[in-house]
Amino acid sequence: MELIKMTNISKYFHHVVALDGVDFYLNKGEILSLLGENGAGKTTLMKILYGMISPDSGEIYYKGQKVNFHRPLDAINMGIGMVHQHFMLVPAFTVLENIVAGAEPSKGIFLDIEKAREEVGELIRRFNFNISLDDKVERLSVGEQQRVEILKALYRKAEVLILDEPTAVLTPTEVDEIFVILDELRKEGCSIVIITHKLKETFAIADRISVLRDGKMIANNVDPKKLSENELSKMMVGREINLGVKRPAKNIGKVRLRVKNLVVKDGGRKKVDNVSFDLRDGEILGIAGVEGNGQTELIEALTGLRRPESMELELNGKKLEGDANTFLRNKIGHVPEDRLAMGLVKEMSVKKNLILGYHREEDFCKNIFLDEKNIEKYAEDLKAKYGIKASHIEDPISALSGGNQQKVVIARTFSRDPDVLIVAHPTRGVDVGAIEYIHGKLLELRDRGKAILLISADLDEVMTLSDRILVLYEGKIVRECQQGELSDVELGLLMTGGNLEMALGGEI
Amino acid sequence: MMEIFNILEIIITSTLRMSVPLILASTGATFSMRSGVSDLGCEGMMIGGAFFGVLGSYIFDNAWIGLLFAALFGMLFALQHAVLHVTFKVNATLSGMSVNLLSAATATLLLQIIWGRHGNSPRVSAFSKIQADWLKKLPVIGEMLAEQNILFYLSLVIVILAWIYMFKTNSGLRLRMVGENPQAANTVGINVVAYKYFGVLMCGLLCGLGGAYLSLGQLNIFVDGMTGGRGYIAIVINAFGGFSPIGSLLGSLFFGFFESLQTIFQGKLIPSNIVRMMPYILTIIVLSIGIRSSKAPAGVGKYHDE
Repeated sequence: MELIKMTNISKYFHHVVALDGVDFYLNKGEILSLLGENGAGKTTLMKILYGMISPDSGEIYYKGQKVNFHRPLDAINMGIGMVHQHFMLVPAFTVLENIVAGAEPSKGIFLDIEKAREEVGELIRRFNFNISLDDKVERLSVGEQQRVEILKALYRKAEVLILDEPTAVLTPTEVDEIFVILDELRKEGCSIVIITHKLKETFAIADRISVLRDGKMIANNVDPKKLSENELSKMMVGREINLGVKRPAKNIGKVRLRVKNLVVKDGGRKKVDNVSFDLRDGEILGIAGVEGNGQTELIEALTGLRRPESMELELNGKKLEGDANTFLRNKIGHVPEDRLAMGLVKEMSVKKNLILGYHREEDFCKNIFLDEKNIEKYAEDLKAKYGIKASHIEDPISALSGGNQQKVVIARTFSRDPDVLIVAHPTRGVDVGAIEYIHGKLLELRDRGKAILLISADLDEVMTLSDRILVLYEGKIVRECQQGELSDVELGLLMTGGNLEMALGGEI
Repeated sequence: MMEIFNILEIIITSTLRMSVPLILASTGATFSMRSGVSDLGCEGMMIGGAFFGVLGSYIFDNAWIGLLFAALFGMLFALQHAVLHVTFKVNATLSGMSVNLLSAATATLLLQIIWGRHGNSPRVSAFSKIQADWLKKLPVIGEMLAEQNILFYLSLVIVILAWIYMFKTNSGLRLRMVGENPQAANTVGINVVAYKYFGVLMCGLLCGLGGAYLSLGQLNIFVDGMTGGRGYIAIVINAFGGFSPIGSLLGSLFFGFFESLQTIFQGKLIPSNIVRMMPYILTIIVLSIGIRSSKAPAGVGKYHDE
């Protein structure tokens, strides 16, 4: 049965087409994967369905009735719930408060907290959510927070659940857990839309796939059993995609950067504990580790953002000390781990963001003034070269999709010809097409003889790109290995503090 | 022995009296902050309350009508803050300061226009000590409580009601959600703008009453500059008290105690100017040490539609 039908939906943002005559439908009791690259219009389409954005044209039918949602509450009242990519939770509230706020059971004007507890407890039991109602949300893991969001929708009797990139922030175990929950919901007759660009997960859970590309619906009714991953990614990106092909380094050169006895303390605890390594020209050195094991502090020390307790750093055999500016000037490029918090200034234009940090350099300045003409030319050049999708270089960076924002960071750093690159999570929250592109760029720079330190939470990424891998656990390097020497299971074990010799019975 | 007891009694009586305007204003600030609006206009709303309270009492020769005036004009000045900050998205510090400047100037100007006077208003009817002989008979605290006027008791009731509202009612939960995360509140269908207006107007109402206590409760005239920065101190007290009505009450008593010391030490060992600096010094100390652990609502200054 067709539960939702959207016909001929179009939406423009400042004359840029976000959605172009899109048709969409959702059947009762199915899990639909709404697939597409970042910026393809998936979220916009679903926000229209949820009443957050109003379409410029098109019609929406719910259970055969034409509907007009002006605000989310209209959609909620009809039984449509949405879990946003950035959770809409109050960290300082308890789980229970977060779930019921806005639709509280009451006794007169008073909050009937016991009734709320009963009702939500019932839901939790029914779906095996395993979550405690009195915990503050700020103390929950990301996976648990997501369950709170789902509970919020279920508590409001949602029959349709829209999840925006539900697995983007989850660990592999948490992904499995959420899939069990979604499966359970499907059995109960819930209809679910998953907005995603991840093929693996689409195949794991979806009954049907709709593919959006550049604001157009490419295919509305794809059966995941009948297509291969490659065919699907081609459909999504519009061309062949090549990921995971290893290209080992051919000419590793002399030591470019030597790190010795690096110790970083934070609040009395050693975050980085006596780390030493060499980084050579023409190699990618990968740091594998579960997040929070000292990566952030390591990056900060190696980019001059933080004064470590101790460190002897040699660049080209010479001692290097100073602040972030000194490091940049010494041709140590930095792709920060959180592009919005550290890599970009949200309010500034694409153009300005493309020169940030390098704005003092000669080709951008005329005496004390910025050389606007040159900067403009430079920005246009990078926009074309790196395929940054923005309608204009004067657009604010916040108008770009995550993948394109990341391309801006990459373009800025890579094109200043750094000798050393400190690259953190370069493809986080970025679509397949952009991942392929960024990986290609990294390998290209390496082959041109650059020394690259790659820090990533994505073990696949570290294993594919790195020529050498250091495993970081609780601030210490617990193992160094060559590419292909250890399997992902072995690396995973080391990353979580395991011991290979013990686990594998001394085989290694 | 007897003398120590007497001094103690004077200090406590005076502490309670000094606390009332702070209790009212900081509870008002709680409403504003909990709705996610920075409350820098408190001082101006207090001045408004102090002045218009006297004006109301002057016109109708009735302190209660004066109090009503204080509440209404406190809310009027709060409305200025709300319109600028909530509707037109002016930075809350600027719109709050504009309230402070405008109300101080209004009071000075109207003193001149209405009474042709500089610096202070004529005497008007004010609140006096409550007439309750049974209260005096209570052991130990009886005398101290009987020294207070009705506004003291009113402010205690307000604190309790405010606490119940904020933590026990549906509406209070929604107000707090707006203050913590306006976007989230919006997505579950809460009218964010209405709650912010409500929070700011409640702040104006209570600050207005706090101001009226200064002019109609402690004295019976309006004096230019009589709020003496208490609106700012209330903001600090509110943060110090963890943005809760009960915390604000306790913080106000704490500050009131230091303010009351001047009644004891005046003309004695320590120069009175030094003693009078106490509340302000304390404010600085609390600002630099005490508030660090207090976490403001996470959504202060944020809007639901951006």
